[in-house]
Amino acid sequence: MTEEPDLRGRLDAVDRLLEHRVRLAIAVLLTRYDRLSFPRLKTLTGETDGSLGAHTRRLEQAGYVRVKKEFVDRKPVTWYALTDEGREALDDHLTALEGLIGDADPR
Amino acid sequence: MTVEHANKAREDLGYVREVVDRAERGLMPRTIWYLWAGIVLVGFTLADLAPGRVGLFWLVAAPTGFLASAWLGRRSARAAGVECRRRAAAHMLHWSGMLVAILLLVPLAATGPLAGEAMGQAILVVVALGYFLAGVHGHRPLMWISLLVIAGYGLTFLLEAWAWTIAGVLVALGMIVAANAAGSPGAAEMRRD
Repeated sequence: MTEEPDLRGRLDAVDRLLEHRVRLAIAVLLTRYDRLSFPRLKTLTGETDGSLGAHTRRLEQAGYVRVKKEFVDRKPVTWYALTDEGREALDDHLTALEGLIGDADPR
Repeated sequence: MTVEHANKAREDLGYVREVVDRAERGLMPRTIWYLWAGIVLVGFTLADLAPGRVGLFWLVAAPTGFLASAWLGRRSARAAGVECRRRAAAHMLHWSGMLVAILLLVPLAATGPLAGEAMGQAILVVVALGYFLAGVHGHRPLMWISLLVIAGYGLTFLLEAWAWTIAGVLVALGMIVAANAAGSPGAAEMRRD
């Protein structure tokens, strides 16, 4: 009887933006490093320029990542860092995922 | 429904784990390996050819190599598109801790208990432990280098002549092999975006 409302609650707690695994991976990576560049994220995720650009733009628009353009060895480089809001959203999202997995695989 | 969502969540987390694992690999630039291979080769060979100059060589080469490694590491990480002050501080603490431990052995050499070759052998044990722990907590090939250092330590007891030179060649070769196996991060990654 209580399983369906619980599931709805868990699903509501899932962050729609971080539901995509590439955006989730970007957010998790940015918890482990202060800043990562666009080329580095591209290498790590294996995404194309266009796809990665779209994902990072969505995270930036939501206020989850901060973007800064700088020159490294006279080449323009875009750097990404996780904001406090992004960190909080990621924590909540991972807790919701943990709940979903726990519900499906009770010990 | 729950199982379906849970399976998707598991798959997504598996992908994230792969990406994170990839991020942790190969962030040590080749230049640092080559630098220390050169320093080790000269420093160890001097122990056989000109033992009187070994102390002075390491007094200059060790801190210079340490500072050069810190600069090369930062430059390489930035070129690879990675910045992390916490990790940089951890590396600095680890390697400077090893340097301090070696410096703390100097009074033992000066007052007698670690006279002559014993000082060099004690330093090898400290260096091996430093490399081993760096391998355990970060860059795995460093663990194998620590075994080579310990093999060199063993040689100093077993061989009558050229033990330090052979140990130096062994460790330097290990570093060059590790450098080539690990590759250099960043070179291909930095481009206009």
